[in-house]
Amino acid sequence: MSSRTETAVTPSVKEKKNKKTTLRTWNSNLLLGSVIPVLLLVVWEYASRAGWVASHLLPAPTTVIEEITTMAQEGELWGHIGITLYRVFFGFLAGSAVAVVLGAATGYNKTIHRLLDPMLQALRAIPSLAWVPLFVLWIGIGEASKVTLVAVGVFFPVYLNLTSGIQGIDRKLIEVGRMYNFTSLQQIRRIILPAALPSFLVGIRSGLSLGWMFVVAAELLGASQGLGYLMVFGQNTSAPELVIGSIILFAIFGKLTDEILKRIEKRTLRWQDNVENAS
Amino acid sequence: MLTVNRVSRIFQEGKAGFRNVDLSLKKGEVVGVLGTSGCGKSTLLRVLSGLDAGFEGDIQTGSDRPEEAFGMMFQEPRLMPWLTVEENISFGVKDKSRKAQAQELIETVGLAGFERHYPKDLSGGMAQRVAIARSLLNRPEILLLDEPFSALDAFTKMQLQDLLLSIWEKHHTTTLLVTHDIDEALYLCDRIVIMRGQPGQIESELFVNRPKPRKRGDVHLAQLKDEILSELDFTKR
Repeated sequence: MSSRTETAVTPSVKEKKNKKTTLRTWNSNLLLGSVIPVLLLVVWEYASRAGWVASHLLPAPTTVIEEITTMAQEGELWGHIGITLYRVFFGFLAGSAVAVVLGAATGYNKTIHRLLDPMLQALRAIPSLAWVPLFVLWIGIGEASKVTLVAVGVFFPVYLNLTSGIQGIDRKLIEVGRMYNFTSLQQIRRIILPAALPSFLVGIRSGLSLGWMFVVAAELLGASQGLGYLMVFGQNTSAPELVIGSIILFAIFGKLTDEILKRIEKRTLRWQDNVENAS
Repeated sequence: MLTVNRVSRIFQEGKAGFRNVDLSLKKGEVVGVLGTSGCGKSTLLRVLSGLDAGFEGDIQTGSDRPEEAFGMMFQEPRLMPWLTVEENISFGVKDKSRKAQAQELIETVGLAGFERHYPKDLSGGMAQRVAIARSLLNRPEILLLDEPFSALDAFTKMQLQDLLLSIWEKHHTTTLLVTHDIDEALYLCDRIVIMRGQPGQIESELFVNRPKPRKRGDVHLAQLKDEILSELDFTKR
């Protein structure tokens, strides 16, 4: 009994120690990881100011930041950011919702899998940009066609990961549900979906990054607002600082949204027995 | 309680599974099924539990709801890794009032203080304790145990065997225990059925008329073990 209580107490002590050490390693990682980018920035700034590169092609980092802050202060920037986030958000939501329904159905039922999977795999082979003219023709140049394009991008990774996750579930766990006479719906809700959650979250994350890629495509090809449009505008008015500024903003928002999903993933997968959760 | 009448389940054109098994269990009886590997003893449990429906013959339980009469404990714990110990134990229990009994069972199997731990933080023995508690919470009329301790070390195994004995003392659950461990069968069972062959058939049956708890080094049990060993004689086909 005493040994048992001991094992119950030790983990919490370890946790505290771990937090400290992970914070320290995190800090030193951050420091080491930023050496090269900072160096590059300095060289770039210097090269641009000293006239080694033509500043109308590659403006200095400070010029880019200046441009972004002016646009932010004038309020023009927020509209572009807002509309892009809106497109990604709703496209992401719609794409993953459809993927969950179809993925769960094809993963659980062999007949549905044989019926739908070949078609979906064939559609996946179509390059993303090939959809653009068709969507514009069908749903017009408005928001709907852009959201749809993002949704198409998000759909496939979520769908693929969810079905393969479901197909990889341990048959032994399903049998436990059968011992309790679970209905199909109970099996899906109580065993299959939680067991497929890790690969589903992988799908969600790669889906989001594809969603960002597709929103750029949609906005490059036909938009009057958005970060992608800003890039085209910068190209047409030969304002490289606008293009570079948009790229940086895309990077920031992409990283930020991925980080949110990563946090959610870590929280919901605390139970996983893997290297990351090892204490 | 349970009557199995000429039940067969054959695989691979008659080379695996079991044939013509007759078996009956009285209420509260603990019966062991002993046999070498491949004699179909695990298949027998899968058929009884309803996991394998492709059998011939007749299975009768004295229960009003035969589909809920059986509780099964597998060779592996088979816990849901995303649920805590507590949630795993009350997994699949529909009746809310039963959930209160979960805490009592947690204490019975010696896991108090571990309610909120995930399976990844448990040792093999502890995980199997959770599995025992889970299979008991539904109050099955017949408990099926499929080599429940074969993956554990000798000491943990003995501990859990004693745990089973104390649970039987309390609940008098009718149990069918499949094992390949002769000592385990002799220590726990009232009656032992020996299966042999491919497909397996019931070869013989012997009663262990010794009050429980028994001594592990009991001379009578040692004699019975000799008998069983000669019965199982591995050289004869």
